Amino acid sequence: MTTLAHFQILASLLFVIGLFGAVTRRNAIVVLLSIEIMFNAANLSLVAFWRYSPHPEQLSGVMFAIFGITIAAAEAAVGLALVIVIYRYYKSIEVDGMRSLKG
Amino acid sequence: MDTAFIILSLITVAGAVWAVTLRNLIHAVLSLVLFFFGIAGFFFYLNADFVGWVQILVYVGAVAILAIFAVMLTHNLTAEDEPGFFSLRWLTGMAIAATVGAVLWFAIRSNAAMSQTAPAGVASNVADIGRKMMTDWVVPFEVVSLLLTAAMIGAIVIAMEQISHRK
Repeated sequence: MTTLAHFQILASLLFVIGLFGAVTRRNAIVVLLSIEIMFNAANLSLVAFWRYSPHPEQLSGVMFAIFGITIAAAEAAVGLALVIVIYRYYKSIEVDGMRSLKG
Repeated sequence: MDTAFIILSLITVAGAVWAVTLRNLIHAVLSLVLFFFGIAGFFFYLNADFVGWVQILVYVGAVAILAIFAVMLTHNLTAEDEPGFFSLRWLTGMAIAATVGAVLWFAIRSNAAMSQTAPAGVASNVADIGRKMMTDWVVPFEVVSLLLTAAMIGAIVIAMEQISHRK
């Protein structure tokens, strides 16, 4: 039988994979995609909590997941627009190259 | 654990690992599509059908296409000069990820409520979701629609070419 712990451990594993990608990769697009992986892991966790909750008719987890997906979509649109502008300015999207503000 | 959970777990974990490790960016985005489909499968498995369809529409339909467009517009199909395995950068990332993962693991393991099995008859239909969204959740709904409008205008303004005044 699949318990709530299985879902939460899987969501933690996916979150950790996304965190690893966001910290290690140099390409700005892959960093944004890793952040999307973390968003999805959080949504999976919220929906699993809703499925196993004592009051599923409140639909709280589902609502949180829908709003999370909306905000993630807005973040992806603005983030990828920023990547395009950064490419136009630096001719590169390596995150290590953006150090103009470094003192 | 049943078979569907194991298969969906393998799909999502493989998609996520490929998306963060593959050098070719198009391959990474396609692995991410696999991951998004796996997560949508989990939403169907958890009886959250509407969230599953929204996941497919928004992520597979919009975010993946947007990512592929960004890859192509930046002429950056393969990420050269990525750090290799067992470089200092990878070891640091592994250490950070392992620390966060261990904290989450102990938090999950120390909670007694985590061992419960799924109650029967839990479902979410679209009518109930719409009713909730227009009553209890109406303020977040309005705020998030304002946020989407601002993000849409903002993305256009940010990515717009600077208009040159030659005349």
